[in-house]
Amino acid sequence: MSEALLYFIQQLINGLTIGSAYALIAIGYTMVYGIIGMINFAHGEIYMIGAYTALIAITGLATLGVTWLPLVLLVALVCAMIVSSSMGWAVERVAYRPVRGRHRLIPLISAIGMSIFLQNYVHLAQGSRNIGFPSLIEGSFRFGSPENFQVSLSFIQITIFITTLICMTALSVFISRSRTGRACRAVSQDLGMASLLGIDTNRIISATFVIGAALAAVAGLLLGMYYGSIDPLFGFIAGLKAFTAAVLGGIGSIPGAMLGGLILGVAESMTSGYLSGEYKDVISFSLLILILLFKPTGLLGKPEVEKI
Amino acid sequence: MTMSVKKLATAVGTSVALMAAGQAAAEIKIGVAGPMTGPVAQYGDMQFSGTRMAIEQINANGGVMGEELVAVEMDDVCDPKQAVTVANSMINEGVSFVVGHLCSSSTQPASDIYEDEGILMVTPASTSPDITERGYELVFRTIGLDNMQGPVAGDYIASQNPERVAVVHDKQQYGEGIATAVRDTLKDKGIEIAMFEGITAGAKDFSSLVTKLKQADVDYVYYGGYHPELGLILRQARQADLDATFMGPEGVGNKDINTIAGEAAEGLLVTLPPSFDEKAENKTLVDAFQAKGEDPSGPFVLTSYAAVQVIADGIEQAGSTDPFEVADTLRSGSFETPIGTVQYDDKGDLESFEFVVYEWHSDGSKTPLN
Repeated sequence: MSEALLYFIQQLINGLTIGSAYALIAIGYTMVYGIIGMINFAHGEIYMIGAYTALIAITGLATLGVTWLPLVLLVALVCAMIVSSSMGWAVERVAYRPVRGRHRLIPLISAIGMSIFLQNYVHLAQGSRNIGFPSLIEGSFRFGSPENFQVSLSFIQITIFITTLICMTALSVFISRSRTGRACRAVSQDLGMASLLGIDTNRIISATFVIGAALAAVAGLLLGMYYGSIDPLFGFIAGLKAFTAAVLGGIGSIPGAMLGGLILGVAESMTSGYLSGEYKDVISFSLLILILLFKPTGLLGKPEVEKI
Repeated sequence: MTMSVKKLATAVGTSVALMAAGQAAAEIKIGVAGPMTGPVAQYGDMQFSGTRMAIEQINANGGVMGEELVAVEMDDVCDPKQAVTVANSMINEGVSFVVGHLCSSSTQPASDIYEDEGILMVTPASTSPDITERGYELVFRTIGLDNMQGPVAGDYIASQNPERVAVVHDKQQYGEGIATAVRDTLKDKGIEIAMFEGITAGAKDFSSLVTKLKQADVDYVYYGGYHPELGLILRQARQADLDATFMGPEGVGNKDINTIAGEAAEGLLVTLPPSFDEKAENKTLVDAFQAKGEDPSGPFVLTSYAAVQVIADGIEQAGSTDPFEVADTLRSGSFETPIGTVQYDDKGDLESFEFVVYEWHSDGSKTPLN
């Protein structure tokens, strides 16, 4: 294979990795929007807290002398998911439920406030410096001759991609098959009617926050290992990117979040790869503006029908 | 009853205010502005550690003109907006002399305010040439300039006869300034610049950049910026098997880069001010720092110490606390400090300041190369 093609493949791999992580975070935005029609701007912070919890768990296990990788990963993942989910649940309970049903701007402002609060809470509790995150999963497959450009597909990239696929499949099955999933769909179609039919809508709304937060925690652990450092502000940009991915794919649509994430990730890495890294964020947010102008429902979103 | 309580309160308030004013007259306030929090807070720690020690020792030796120095410390988070707020608070505090700020992008907007309000400032860390390019009367430094550091780095890279060099920066005043200086030096020496590109400060994913560097097949990568981003670039480059030597300015040279990059930090080249703490004449001072459990080896600890000392000596020699008179004294005199003999040119820059190339190790230690 020619060098140019290998280079393209490498950038594609980079883009798909980061894109699938965006998709995991985007689920939280898209599910919450699908059900109560609000943007949970504190979601990026939930992801950041997931990464911090995972790091604390990993460090804790290391001091206890536990080094068996699958166990470390499993414990870190479970801890991160539990802490992030409770955080997601608590945020909804404290900041959104009391203002639900008011003017749309009010929950939005509440969400931004929550986001600032959580960021500063972690600043205080964990310090504001960048903290190194152990890689844990090291090594890679290599393609191409060693003298020329070599494509490297690292194990962590494969892990990120496969974990995302598993999470997405599990979520789709859950939404389409399970009882709670069916209730979720009912609530997203018509909250009032679902409530009249005996669905505990408060419980369903809490459940969407918990699911979104748990997936964000998975992304937090994976990206922490992939990037190599975390800081209290890193949820903010990731949140914005994931939000862009959700809008791109069609907010409210779960396959849309996946598609949006992948497109955004690939667009970013191709921009850095063929233009310049300086234009990366310009391109991703231009995509957001373009999609809002020309196809506000996103690629896979359904046009909103005014309910009477 | 209500009236009398109010009157009493006013009376107490006034007397407290008067007492405070009375005390203020017997002391000289030195503002210290730098990041106490935020991503580069460790440089702020160096700065505050240096100024605290200087103020403590000067006061122990009888103060300045018989008056005590009192520090007014403020946190600018290395954020230009916050720096402006801090500068205004300094004015409200009645400060006439400031040591700071740390980041060039904070020093620049703050210096406008200080100059307008007649406050003398000495930055112990900002290396951007622009700061002293505007003909300001009250702006000084105790550190060199990017255009002194850039050529040192550029000359070193050129002396290694590389085939292709990439220059990357974080698009900020400090990083881009120094990266431009390195690029220009290399171009003058006829070295091919394969890439000159900016990244976004605070970004985490550099896989595309690393792929690009690998594709460009560079021998050297110069990075203008701070350690959080370079640490990640080093780590991600190692994962992708990028075989190139990285080099950066003093903004990357601190032990935090090791916690981020780990093993990948081995062999990184850094231009730093010479280790003032290793000079024999600073032995007693270094011992004083160690007695307090502080580390004087950071690049900005002794420059900050020197900044306070230059202000104190300036006041003493001018025999006045008027910032303009002190500024004249600074321009004409010469001052013995832990960073050597300090002499200023008309712009407020040091007449000379040396930079040395160090090789960084993964345990946080460093060895000088030239």
